[in-house]
Amino acid sequence: MMTAATDSTRTIVTGSRTAAPARRAGSRSREQLVSWAFLAPFLIAFALFLVWPIIHGIVLSFTDASLTGAGGGFVGFANYAEALSDPVMWRSLWNTIWFTLLSTVPLVVIALLMAALVDRGLPGQWLWRLSFFMPYLLASTVISQIWVWIFNPQIGAANNILKAFGLEPLAWLQNPETNMLSIVIATVWWTVGFNFLLYLAAMQNIPPQQYEAASLDGAGAWRQFWSITLPQLGPATVLILLLQILASLKLFDQAYQMLGGVASDTTRSIVQYIYEAGFVSYRFGYSAAISYVFFALIVIVGVAQALVTRRRKEQL
Amino acid sequence: MTPPLDLSRRQFLTAASLTAAAALLAGCAPGATPGAGPQTLQFWHLLSGGDGVTMSQLLQKVNDAQNAFRIRPTVLAWGTPYYTKLAMAGAGGRAPDVAIMHATRTVGWAPGGLLDPWDLDKLAGLGVDASTFPKPIWEKGFVGEQMFSIALDAHPFVAMFNTDICDAAGVLDSDGALQETTSPEEFLEQLRAIGGQASGHALSYGYLGDGAQMWRLFYTLYSQHGSPIELPSGGKAVIDKDVAVESLSFMRTLLDGEIAATQADYGTAVAEFSTGKSGMLFTGVWELRTMQNAKLPFDATMIPTLYGTPAVYADSHSFVLPHQTHADRAKRDLTYQFVADMLKGSFGWAEAGHIPAFLPVTESPEYADLVPQAHYAEAAKHVVYDPTAWFTGSGSNFQGEFGAAVQNVLLKGDDPVAAIDRFEARVNTMLSQPNPADPEGTFGS
Repeated sequence: MMTAATDSTRTIVTGSRTAAPARRAGSRSREQLVSWAFLAPFLIAFALFLVWPIIHGIVLSFTDASLTGAGGGFVGFANYAEALSDPVMWRSLWNTIWFTLLSTVPLVVIALLMAALVDRGLPGQWLWRLSFFMPYLLASTVISQIWVWIFNPQIGAANNILKAFGLEPLAWLQNPETNMLSIVIATVWWTVGFNFLLYLAAMQNIPPQQYEAASLDGAGAWRQFWSITLPQLGPATVLILLLQILASLKLFDQAYQMLGGVASDTTRSIVQYIYEAGFVSYRFGYSAAISYVFFALIVIVGVAQALVTRRRKEQL
Repeated sequence: MTPPLDLSRRQFLTAASLTAAAALLAGCAPGATPGAGPQTLQFWHLLSGGDGVTMSQLLQKVNDAQNAFRIRPTVLAWGTPYYTKLAMAGAGGRAPDVAIMHATRTVGWAPGGLLDPWDLDKLAGLGVDASTFPKPIWEKGFVGEQMFSIALDAHPFVAMFNTDICDAAGVLDSDGALQETTSPEEFLEQLRAIGGQASGHALSYGYLGDGAQMWRLFYTLYSQHGSPIELPSGGKAVIDKDVAVESLSFMRTLLDGEIAATQADYGTAVAEFSTGKSGMLFTGVWELRTMQNAKLPFDATMIPTLYGTPAVYADSHSFVLPHQTHADRAKRDLTYQFVADMLKGSFGWAEAGHIPAFLPVTESPEYADLVPQAHYAEAAKHVVYDPTAWFTGSGSNFQGEFGAAVQNVLLKGDDPVAAIDRFEARVNTMLSQPNPADPEGTFGS
């Protein structure tokens, strides 16, 4: 889920590598050899599991290859033409984008609120930190099961709460009008802890002297939050936002599991449709074509991320 | 004393990785040498839970009864995961010797050569032929001229009823059977009588988020009008709109909150009936064991014929020969033997609720004494399978698509005509796509 997170870590690690003192010329090539040897395990895995599948997938998307081994002939852009005129493809793509919009906002805002509460006021900080972060450690299968029970229309906790407020019970996951919302709620509960941790770390990096100075100048808690905390969280917010968008676009496991693998027009994400085309309908070629349509979307987000980061570097 | 092994760390690591690699390679090598002792037959199936237990007992019996072969079963998760794995094994030409498939799924597989056809003469030699199966079940095994699947059972959608509640409601015959109803009105009247005696609903029927459940009842009612839905490849779906709308509207009538709960999923419905709160349950025969374990006073029967033609939705667990590039003749012969043995020993399979397809079993006097199985055995003569197309069948997306199209009619009373139109449009899209087992249309499937 956190591909981009590891990427940024990697940058930090390589950036902090200190230059080796220069030695005699003969040892330089040996040194290079050694560094390549150290890189080799990663490079081999990278080539085998990332580069090759990407190339193979592009080739596949121009064929009518099937999981059954039949077909495989070149069909030109037929798969892409079908994908672009397939209403289910567009609906699934929209579902993914809709989920990203619905989930990203609360995942950023709630994480910020939780971090602010823990950072400023609450006693027993470690306990809050632990309990806010804990759900993030659970496997998607586990959270799916938990929320399937919470959302159970007859005996679930969610409907009990509604009843306590005198509201009509809902068929949360089964009703096409509420099932996406239900998945968003479960996802927020599940992953908000990660963003919370990033925000908390960023807040604790703010020098306490600034707050001290502000309070000497008579600034209250709100004033300090607006004028000191929030502005200094800018870089963290950009990072969280981009990571979150990338994570949300990958919607699949929890939605698939919470609905028991049932195809629902309102929750089928583009990743699920890629899976269905390839592994339920056995159409590898078509499945590959849809995944490259989606790939185009991810590339746009990726380029946006690169541009934002570059602009920020130039500002520094 | 021998000196301790003097290895540098590098030498040790090299030696260790070589050993590991050798072990790995050995693992890939073919197993026991052929000819020594009984042959091992690989058998894949998707039956777990109670079905799985019954299946292992049957396999045990077949194994114990002879010395020519030993069955080695592999159980995989029901539905898509199973079919994906089996298809890939077949595509690679190294499939198991024999496997279970739903009869409705073979159409999507047979034309591209994922399955090998059964030799009818060889089967007849073992006492398995058309005369030993109900006609619709035997015929379902064919794709074109060739037979690709031999049914072990039929597992229809049935009505289970609580005998205490129904007796109190006065809807049972003198012999304890549910009184026959022949029209929707009569059936509703019967259900209202039952509802008067049940602490919960008259009928338990779970469908929420479960396309298969919605499809099973819908297609039962639809087929009772006399003609099936047809899905000609490359053409347009033939759906009688009036019939479809009537069937769907009747389902909605049942879900009025009085007769049956408006919002119930599969598990909730099973729970309501198994705890004795409702009088009747629409479900598959595979829930029989659940009810027996609940010590419920109950019986089961065919879904009543409300529109003239007796018909019940069903599917069959069938034996297939996944394609093997280098099929071993001796093993193939033993596989035929195994399937014949299983069919003849399928009385035990009835304990899991399924109706054995092999007539000598269901026509035996022992089976007549097996209650409630014998009370719905008649359903085997009236089974209706999914419309034939590569994308239909158990565990396919077709039933899910149906559910997605019609659920709001059942849940909220949306317009059934619009729902059927939506479903038809979706089916026509799927019909326009090529059969992935035969993308070039070589086999005209």
